This record gives sequence, C-alpha cells and structure tokens, in this order.
Amino acid sequence: MRQSSRYAGVAIAAASCAVMLACSSSEKAADTSGPRRIAIITPSHDNPFFKAEADAAADRAKALGYDVLVNSHDDDANKQDQLIDVAIARKVAAIVLDNAGADASVAAITKAKQAGIPTLLIDREINASGVAAAQIVSNNYQGATLAGEEFVKRMGEEGSYVELVGKESDTNAGIRSRGFHDVIDKYNKLTMAGRQSANWDQREAFQKMETLIQANPKLKGVIAGNDTMALGAMAALKAAGLGKVIVVGFDGSPDAIASIKAGEIKATVLQPAALIAKMAVDQAHELIRTGKTGQPEKQSIDCELVTAENADAFGVFGRK
Amino acid sequence: MSAASPVPAGRRFADILLRLRALVALCVLVVVFALLSPEFLTTGNLAILVKHVAVNAILAIGMTFVILGGGIDLSVGSIAGLCGMIAGALLSEGLIVRPAGIVIYFHAWLVVVVALLAGMLLGAANGWLVSRLRVAPFIATLGVLYVARGAAMLMSGGATFPNLAGTAALGNTGFPLVGTAVWLGVPAPIWLMAALAGAGMFVAARTPFGRQVYAVGGNPRAALLAGVRVTRVTFLVYVISGFCASLVGLIIAAELGAAHPATGETFELNAIAAVVLGGTSLMGGRGTIGGTLIGAFVIGVLADGLVLLGVSEFWQMVIKGLVIVLAVILDQFQKRSS
Repeated sequence: MRQSSRYAGVAIAAASCAVMLACSSSEKAADTSGPRRIAIITPSHDNPFFKAEADAAADRAKALGYDVLVNSHDDDANKQDQLIDVAIARKVAAIVLDNAGADASVAAITKAKQAGIPTLLIDREINASGVAAAQIVSNNYQGATLAGEEFVKRMGEEGSYVELVGKESDTNAGIRSRGFHDVIDKYNKLTMAGRQSANWDQREAFQKMETLIQANPKLKGVIAGNDTMALGAMAALKAAGLGKVIVVGFDGSPDAIASIKAGEIKATVLQPAALIAKMAVDQAHELIRTGKTGQPEKQSIDCELVTAENADAFGVFGRK
Repeated sequence: MSAASPVPAGRRFADILLRLRALVALCVLVVVFALLSPEFLTTGNLAILVKHVAVNAILAIGMTFVILGGGIDLSVGSIAGLCGMIAGALLSEGLIVRPAGIVIYFHAWLVVVVALLAGMLLGAANGWLVSRLRVAPFIATLGVLYVARGAAMLMSGGATFPNLAGTAALGNTGFPLVGTAVWLGVPAPIWLMAALAGAGMFVAARTPFGRQVYAVGGNPRAALLAGVRVTRVTFLVYVISGFCASLVGLIIAAELGAAHPATGETFELNAIAAVVLGGTSLMGGRGTIGGTLIGAFVIGVLADGLVLLGVSEFWQMVIKGLVIVLAVILDQFQKRSS
C-alpha cells in the first residue's frame, strides 16, 4: 500500500508538471486585452488536406493581425460542439469551421450565432441557411465531372473499371460518385466491374483493390473518391504488375501530385482548399470591421484538373 | 477457469470441440463464397486473402498471450501506427542528433530492428503499468493507446511519410521488402505470420513460460503460491504483444510504401475478435494459438469474400458483427454442455 501511494505521488507530480508546461504556453493566448482572435476548427490534421486549410487560414489571420486558436474535431460532432463552447467562452471574434456533419453541426453554429460570434464554413456545407455567415465550398460535383471526363478520355471510352467510394456517411462521397457517374454512364462501353467503399483510407483501398484485382484481372481503370484511396489502389496495382491501369483520384494532395509526376496516377482534381480558407478569413475580417461579408452566404469555388502536363504548376492545395 | 493446471484431459477435449466450432464456421464460409464467386478459390485470391489475414493474425497471436494471461491489450493498433511512423521517419528523415547537427541514416534492416525494439519498449510500458503498478490492464493499455497515437501524430505533425523506398545514395533501400518480398511464391507477411504462429504454438504449449501464462491467467493467486513469478510473466506477455504490434506496423508501412500516423485505428478490436472467435476465454487461462489463427481466418475470409461479392460496406459490418456474436453464443452452449 505504501509503495503504491508513493508511485501515485510520483505520477501526480509528473502529471502536474506536464499540465504546468502546457499552461505556460497557452497562458499568453488567454489574455483578453490583446488583439482579437479567430478560432479555426477543422477535421484531424492527419489528412494533409485539412492541415493545409487550417495552416492557410491561420497564416492569413496572423497576417491580418489576429491571434488564432487552431483545433481539430476529428469528425466528431460532440467534440466540435465542445470546441465551439470553448471558442464562445474565450470570446473569439469569428469561427472558421470545416464542420463535422451537415445536420449535426447546425445546433452548435446556431449557439455561436446567438452568442454574437459569426461562423464561416469552409469545405463542407450544412443543411441550413441563414445560420452561418458564409459557406464557402469547392464545387465537388463540378470537380467530379472533370475527373470523370478525364477518366473517360484516358480509358478511350471503353473497358471495365472499378470505383472506390469514400465514407458513405459523408455527403461529399455521394456527390463525387454522382458526378463521376453522370459523365461515365453516358458511355455504354465503359462497364463498372466493382464498386466498394474504402472509407477514404489508404490501407483499406490497398486491401480492397488487391481483392478486386482477383475478381477482375482484365481491369483497365480505377476511379477513386479521394487521393489517399487512389494511392492505396495504385500501390496494389503496382504490386500485382498492373502499373499501367488508369487511376484517377480527387483532392489534389501533394502525395498524389508527386505520384502523377512519377507517371503512376494519371489525374486528380485539385480542391482549392488553401484559397477557400484564405477567403473565409478575409470575409471574417470584413465582417468584423463592417458588419458584412460583402458576399452571398453560399459560395462555390471550382476545382482544377491536375495531370502530368500541368502538375508542376500546383503546390499544397493551390496553384503555386 | 477453476482448473489451474494448463491442459487437463477433459479440458483438452473441450478445447478440440471449441477449435472445431471455429473451423466449422470457417469451412461453411469458404464453401459459401466458393459457390457464390468463381474467383474465390483461385490460388491468386487465396494468396491475397492469407496475406490480408496475416496482419490481423499477427496482432491476434500477441493478443492471445495477453488474454491467456488474464489481461487485455487495447494499445496494439496505436503501437502498430507509431512503429510504422518510426520506420518512416528514420527512412525519410534519418535520426537527427540536435546538438551535433548530424543526421544519421540507418540501413533498412536496422530501421526494422529499431522499430521492433520500440514496439517491445511500449509493450514493456504496458507490462510495467500492469504488473508493477497494478493498473487494470484495460486502463493501462488504453492510456498507452492514446499516448502512442498522439506520439505518432507528433512525429510528422499528422502528415504521411509518402515514400519509404529509401535512397540508394544513403544506402537505406530495401524496406518495402518486409511487406512485398516473395519467397517460394509466398509473400513475406504470410511467412512472418507462419513463423510467429509456429513459435507461438510452441511457446504456449511446450515451454514452462507458456504453462505459466495459462496458470497466471487461470488463477494468479494459485500460480503465485505454486512459485510462478507472476509479475514477470505478466510483464512479458505485454512485451510479446508489443513486438507483434510493431511487426504489423512495419508490414503495413512496407506494403503501402508509406507511413500514415492514423494506421491501425480499431485494429485492437479485430484482434480481440479473432482471439475470442478462436475459443480463448476473455477471463484468461483457456484457449490456444491455433484457435486464434482460425478466428483470424474467419474474419479475413468474411471481409474479402464480401468484397468479392460486391456487398456494401454497411452490410459487411452487420454481417461481421453477427458472426462474432453467433460464435460466442456457440461458445457458451459448448461450455455448458461440456
């Protein structure tokens, strides 16, 4: 007993040291007399896309003289709700949010609005209007039709292909799939040999692709709802000696662009995440100064096709 | 549970029955998929299937030792993710020695050794918390789950190390072979699974340490009175599990040629499911490595077979859940009847 209480003492001492360290770094930020603050809340930064938009928003906000509060809700609506509570409690001037669900986020955004804090949505819309100050998203449908057209062209308008769909509970997975099919289904010599969800995940796409290759050895193309799945599929195809299969992704991630330059993946569609994040901060700034964003609530920004011909022109989720 | 000795005669018969139950389920699944999909029984597909099973089976072998010893290890998925990231960092960025300002690049095989040692070290942390500090296994390994996942994210700020092929000039090429090499027509992950399964069966059934694990899981008090060094045995099972987890992390990173910090989320649940499907008691002291292997195959055959048939992701989840619950219900019936 004595031994265990000694250990407990050590553990508590260590934990409080860690807490003190953590506090000392955030102490400055808690000072309310300094410059105004913008909260930036996105899904997990383990996806370079969300890291890029959070970084772009933070850079722009700092350039405009704001302090920033950057957090990730990990696609958990409950965690997002708590982060918005924190933002309200710390009286931020505005929230830039890539939300955790089209329906599940409405209440939290309404709560911020009632507290007098405007929320500017980026990347994903919500199923309500008049709640957020702005909803700036990339045009997923337009991007998907771009990807579909390029895919059809590379396939020579015929052959069998497989579609890898994103997480099926995510609105964008459905919109992109619809965009692909609205183009591809016009060509009746293009036949879909399989359609599987790989949940946006590279390893899952790798494994599912390996199995799909077994069922469809004469496969000519793969169209994927995002780049990580396209990269996973590409790795499986290369391992099976099918590196010539046409793979097209979506997002325009730096890893996919590197793969395009290496001649592996054939094309992707770049979502201008950095631009959108910057626009949201600029409009927040305008709103804070003048009371208006000067833009309609819903704004849709077109995606751009990236292929080997123009890959050099693109950086991290934006043109260089 | 009541019997402390490792394998009494009656229990052995029950074990055979338990193993047969999972085996019957496996045979039924194979027959069903073979009938429904002409590609299922091709050698190519079976090789891929076994390779997919290997990842979960290796985790589950380590998990079996922990569960046999009366514990649970929730941290295996995170340890796999972190060890993959350690390999990724060493290969793409090298070891940066800050004060001296030197960057050291390791040979690919040394990277493998370092990552495996890191996995064993994390396992040792679990073992130390559970055996010395007497933290409940569920909580101790849950803590390590979060710490390891966070550390994996911190290593790259959440980014992926996209290219693990190494650079010839730095002399660190060859890492992807861990996942992609083929010896005698069989991919490396399958060899690794076979080697671990063989070693695991031997250790569990034929060595004093194995018998001590069963004894500790069955009744730690009795084991202690019988002279078993309970603390040491408990410590070691977590080290074994950490080793298996890091091996899985390396295999995945090598196969993809990329290390992603979120790799391995929820893997612990698949591993536990394989162990339980294989007839190992979650209370400890009863079960076999062979059963766990069959459990891993049931899960793997189900997953790949449903993909071949083009069944939607949502139904795949429902069916997997039903099979696990059904298997455990059968387990209960058999325990009552024997």
